[in-house]
Amino acid sequence: MVAQILAVTIFVAMFVLIVIDKIERQYITLGCGVITLVVVFGLCMHSVTAITDTLNIHSIFTRTFWYTGGAAEESSSGINWATIIFVAGMMVMVEGMARVGFFRWLCMRIAKLVHYKTMAIFMTFMIMSAVLSMFIDSITVILFLAAVTVELSQLLKFNPVPMILSEIFCANLGGSATMCGDPPNIIIGTSLGYSFADFITNTGLIALVALVAVLVYFYFVFHSELSASNGENVDISSLPDPKEAIKDKKGFAISCIIFATAVVLLITHAMTGLTVAFIGLFIALVTIITAPKHIHEIVSKVDYKTLLFFIGLFVVVGGLEQTGILEIAANFIGKISGGNAMLMVAIIIWLSAFASAFVDNIPFAATMIPIIKALAATEGVSLSTLAWALSMGTDIGGSATPIGASANVVGTSVAAKAGHPIGWGLYCKKVVPATILVLVISTVGIFVRYF
Amino acid sequence: MGKQLIIAVSREFGSGGHEIADILAKKFNIPIYDNNLLTEIANSKNLDVDTLEKYDEKPKNIFLSRSVRGYSNSLSEVLAQMQFDYIRELANKGESFVIVGRCAETVLKNHPALVSIFVLADKESKITRVSKHNDISRSEAESLINMQNKKRKTYHNRYCEDKWGDSRNYDVCVNSAKLGIERTADILEEYIKEFAQ
Repeated sequence: MVAQILAVTIFVAMFVLIVIDKIERQYITLGCGVITLVVVFGLCMHSVTAITDTLNIHSIFTRTFWYTGGAAEESSSGINWATIIFVAGMMVMVEGMARVGFFRWLCMRIAKLVHYKTMAIFMTFMIMSAVLSMFIDSITVILFLAAVTVELSQLLKFNPVPMILSEIFCANLGGSATMCGDPPNIIIGTSLGYSFADFITNTGLIALVALVAVLVYFYFVFHSELSASNGENVDISSLPDPKEAIKDKKGFAISCIIFATAVVLLITHAMTGLTVAFIGLFIALVTIITAPKHIHEIVSKVDYKTLLFFIGLFVVVGGLEQTGILEIAANFIGKISGGNAMLMVAIIIWLSAFASAFVDNIPFAATMIPIIKALAATEGVSLSTLAWALSMGTDIGGSATPIGASANVVGTSVAAKAGHPIGWGLYCKKVVPATILVLVISTVGIFVRYF
Repeated sequence: MGKQLIIAVSREFGSGGHEIADILAKKFNIPIYDNNLLTEIANSKNLDVDTLEKYDEKPKNIFLSRSVRGYSNSLSEVLAQMQFDYIRELANKGESFVIVGRCAETVLKNHPALVSIFVLADKESKITRVSKHNDISRSEAESLINMQNKKRKTYHNRYCEDKWGDSRNYDVCVNSAKLGIERTADILEEYIKEFAQ
């Protein structure tokens, strides 16, 4: 009982400290993680097993961690090292791509292809944001996309805010389509043993339908504002050539090959048996080996703070899991839904969405995974259905407010730095209806397909 | 004047620090930046000054903003950074100016042309000054002083490691109540002239 109270207290303190934002979030989760290990597992539970299970280091040295031979990846609790290694690997690849100017080139190339017409840029950038976010973290996608949008808005004389808001939303939506698109999905996939194909054929289909709806929605919301300036009076020859964005031609070609390889490996990983941890490590090594002169530059830009944040977070959530708190939460959800699976799915989607709109969706998803596992075991509901509900809820709910997901923070920050502040009122007025629209599509989609 | 000179004036509310900054700007014939810094930024970036003013020197709302990889979506924080960047830009261009507040003593800490000043005053003197200037009662003046100083302290300490009003953070700390505004400005002028030579 004492261990349970302490585990909850540490968890709540962690969330409060993250919200207050006085201490860097990786120190918060690591500090809370250490307290969980020492106080909850050590002093209260006297359980060495709980410590070793949560640290989960032994899993790295098993064959199935790297290669499953076609079978589903083994699920485990505690620190999800597969997520950490995969995220780290993709970060290395993305830094390699950014170094050679890939993202800026892509944005400028597409703008040129549509002859710098504002409405055409608006629609294509939304699609590009969604597609890139399926494979690359949404922060990087928005960082480059928003920066180019601001640059184009100055050259073509349009307001960049509608475009940035739509790009943010589509980045979060695209991230929900695949296993590697958004951190909650990586955690869900690696924790529950789902493959890239599992995600793309489930959340991917929902995201595709939702993307069409969202394109129509944003078109009608921003059409009149953006049509006013459709780039007619701009001398296209004065605009920057996309080729100028490429900083290293050889490196650019190699980066494109590495990215394509990563996409192929991810799409086929269920067939090849290669785990996401293997793919992450492989891609990182290839990126480093093919750019020996830039190893320091690439590695130093990797966001190690996020990796440390993940490690601490998994330990704190492990504290809740080991002390049985999450089982109690699962029983509670089971009770209020009265064993009705459809109600359970609806609760998970909308509760996850609401929570993710205000708190970081990564810790929320990590906390919910053991809960849906317990729900599936005790209530007999399909685990995969609950997993897709959790994925759509956390990924899409995060779009609703300027603080819900990392892409929103980065996008609104880039806009504000360029002198286009986006307050809560403006953000929510335009994005909340889109969020509700996609959540309704997700709920109906899951109901129709799985019940 | 030929040699670059930057005078950063921080001050307690009611100490007459702003007036001293005005006098120094006239004495050295250099521009002064305070609230007008926003207008300068808005003009240089083709932005709406009213929009910027809404977020100037406002504390960050911890429940409504977040930071990710060094990117903050707190509009007051972004505006503060824009002002700091602008001050740095002016200094790096070799311009001479007086800057009031805006954490300038920290933003330009290692700049060779910088003289940083903190103006304080006795409580009684501040109350009398604020009460007269704003035509309010003494108790109202005292509340206003406390509120404004708390606001300045919070803003400063959010962005700077060294604390607001800590004498180790400034070249000169002076109590304007001892000699009055004019004489304090004269003495500071002497100090700055000596430094500028």
